[in-house]
Amino acid sequence: LTHVLRLIAFRLLAFVPTLIAASIVLFIAVNVVPGSAAKAALGIDATPQAIARFEHQHRLDQPLHVQYLAWLGRVLRGDFGNSFQNHVPVGPELLARLPVTLELSALAFLIANLIAVPLGALAAYFHQSKVDVSVTFMATVMGAIPNFWLATLLILLFALTLRWLPAGGYVPFYDDPFRNLELMVMPAVSLGIVSSALLLRIMRAAMLEVLSSDYIRTAIAKGASQSVVIWRHAIRNALIPFLTVGAVEFGFLFGGVVIIEDMFLLPGIGSLVLVGIINRDYPVLLAAALVITVVVLTANMIVDLLGSLLDPRQVHARSGR
Amino acid sequence: MGMQRGAIGAIGDDQQRGVAKRPMLDRSRSLARVALIASLTALPLAGPAGAQQHGGTLIAAFSADPAGFDPVRGPSGMSHVVIEQVFSTLMLLDPDANPIPGLAESYEISEDGLEYTFKLREGVTFHNGDPLTAEDVKFSFDRLRAPDSGYSYGSQVETIDEVEVVDPLTVKFKLSQVTGPFLIYMAFPGSSIVPKGLVESGHDLNAHPIGSGPFKFVSYQPRSAIKFERNPKYYEEGKPYFDAMEYRIIPDITALTNAVMSGVVNFSNEIPPKDWATVQSNPDLVGKAIEGSRYYWLLPNNTRPPLDDLKVRQAVAHAIDRQAIVTGAFFGQATPILGGVIPQWNWGYADLSHFSPRGDPEKAKQLLAEAGHSDGFETSMTIASSFPAMVAMAPIIQANLQAAGIQATIGTMEIPRYWDEVWSTSNFDITTMYWLSPLADPDDFVTNNYKCGMAINVQKSCSDAMDDLLERAKAAPTQEERKELYRQMQELSLEEMGIVPLVNGWILIAHTKDLQDYQPMRTGFLKTLKDAWFE
Repeated sequence: LTHVLRLIAFRLLAFVPTLIAASIVLFIAVNVVPGSAAKAALGIDATPQAIARFEHQHRLDQPLHVQYLAWLGRVLRGDFGNSFQNHVPVGPELLARLPVTLELSALAFLIANLIAVPLGALAAYFHQSKVDVSVTFMATVMGAIPNFWLATLLILLFALTLRWLPAGGYVPFYDDPFRNLELMVMPAVSLGIVSSALLLRIMRAAMLEVLSSDYIRTAIAKGASQSVVIWRHAIRNALIPFLTVGAVEFGFLFGGVVIIEDMFLLPGIGSLVLVGIINRDYPVLLAAALVITVVVLTANMIVDLLGSLLDPRQVHARSGR
Repeated sequence: MGMQRGAIGAIGDDQQRGVAKRPMLDRSRSLARVALIASLTALPLAGPAGAQQHGGTLIAAFSADPAGFDPVRGPSGMSHVVIEQVFSTLMLLDPDANPIPGLAESYEISEDGLEYTFKLREGVTFHNGDPLTAEDVKFSFDRLRAPDSGYSYGSQVETIDEVEVVDPLTVKFKLSQVTGPFLIYMAFPGSSIVPKGLVESGHDLNAHPIGSGPFKFVSYQPRSAIKFERNPKYYEEGKPYFDAMEYRIIPDITALTNAVMSGVVNFSNEIPPKDWATVQSNPDLVGKAIEGSRYYWLLPNNTRPPLDDLKVRQAVAHAIDRQAIVTGAFFGQATPILGGVIPQWNWGYADLSHFSPRGDPEKAKQLLAEAGHSDGFETSMTIASSFPAMVAMAPIIQANLQAAGIQATIGTMEIPRYWDEVWSTSNFDITTMYWLSPLADPDDFVTNNYKCGMAINVQKSCSDAMDDLLERAKAAPTQEERKELYRQMQELSLEEMGIVPLVNGWILIAHTKDLQDYQPMRTGFLKTLKDAWFE
């Protein structure tokens, strides 16, 4: 147990410098992108005086490191500043949007896993058969599809032609669970299917490795039934390398929702990133990017911990056997 | 000039319906039908009176996010379509953009045109219950006129010398000079009347606007939605008809169009021309096209050779096939501008057939030869990539110019970079832009673009003759005199060719079939939603 606690403490310690490093990179990246925030916010007929006033008011006329430290100081106090565009505080907006993106990426992740785990296991079990070839081929195709293209086709078919599903929009889950899921299906599927490709190949490889290992052969030799071998020994062990990749993939999903949220009118973090870039709305863009960084880092941390819990060696260490 | 009086008494339903209802360009792709609007304007409304039903929620889609709701601070068109629902103005615009009384039930203009006296309606209240009086009117305009107000449309109120409360329901505006568009300014959302007591007590209208308009503000979810509910005490009795309205903000225009097509929303006035045919073939939707004042211009940099030569600019202007732009970039949903820029529906229109609709490359070549460029020249055209219509226009213009011997290379740039590196620094040979006039007065159609030193005169065309005409046209005492001066101004604009006018893109509206009696406005504003209802 102390080992696990030490692990958690170590990960948390590494979390802070990683976050600060990421925030510096973000801050520089946002500021070196060409285009002026003042001109984007004030519009086509802004006078030079109005632009100067705007830049002074938002400290954009100060050196970058001064701006960064001032921003960091405010963020540490929980203040993400006000949007340049609509003067509304960014913090509460982030909090309101976070559940949307979390739900979307969780659903997409679930769909990806529901496809990847059984099909990956199946392909490995029927290694080099027709099943394996067709599953692998399918994974290659799915992995090559851009998610926004798949989303366009889904909208065209299910919303505009068949009219089975709404083309977009959002209703909170606690307001109307059925409507919420109805609105989440297409965005989650278009993200999930594309994500499943990589996961499927990882699952297949992990499963192949497990199936050819000594303890599986021993289990079979001992006369264990096929289902026990597959479910208790093979899949469980194959899931460990799978999970590590899965966490990275979840991070990709959470950060990759930008276009999909925009297409399906979901008011999440991703669409916030997009308007932040388009409008050069630095407070919005920085805050949204920071949230994505935190979520990705947290997902990685959790999986590291989970991985060590699932690893048989850890289990044995804990129970003292 | 004699005493003028506005309409007296409340605008009854009959007047609204009988005079103002115009048949629209329903499901038309034919250019010739634009003329039809004008010729059918006198037709009365077909439907029976009193058929309106209350109820329902209108969900409208917009691509832009508003930038504040306080009339003094909202600088953008998207702020204004919110402000106009929540607040009231002294005057209103009819769908053809003529000023008609709003909060004022009548008005008088003094003989010298320098004093406007408005008689307010009795019994109008703000959403918080406060009565609306002349004090609120004075307060609202003093607030806009304050030196540090930061009001984006300060030029509209700069000729107001004093606002005087005559009695609780009478207010007098004293002007420093005759201001032709004054009544139009009084209908502009920025001129909304705000509650004096509430604002003085520190209430932030930007966060929660409170006015006396047809709809009460309920909530704003940034970059997502604005919600309204019906104001049951609105001064036009029985109106509005919807129980509630919701503006959805959908930045991606394709997603917006999908939302309209699939019935997620039931109203949009931002349908892209390329999707117009699809809207028209959708049995659940009604499409309405109206010519407003959305001009697309080609801006030659008047300070860069060889475009500093007016003959070269004229050559560019004559080389362009405007009909090809209408067909190719606007799918027929635009009017080619063949003379001055003031559109035919407006009283400032001057019938100057200066350009051939298909362009005249021979004339262009001849003008180039006169300017000493008989072999043509090379130039560049920088386009903001965020405007699909302008991206679509660019290769057509390029081909037109090439036919006249001008080799233009096209460069595109993402919009924030474009504002910064091209637009505001006038760092271009040729660029294109559009100007959407929210005022429907000829002054607003031309002064911002043609007058020397204006913020959007980035092509840097300056002439004393032009400035003089613009100023005189704005301040002339009668509409006839103003019309004549705008005709001269438009003739001069074609001679100087500081700007090359291209086309006027129509406002394309789609709404669900159950929405009745909705009349689009030339200005693109949505105040007339208060007159519409669900079947």
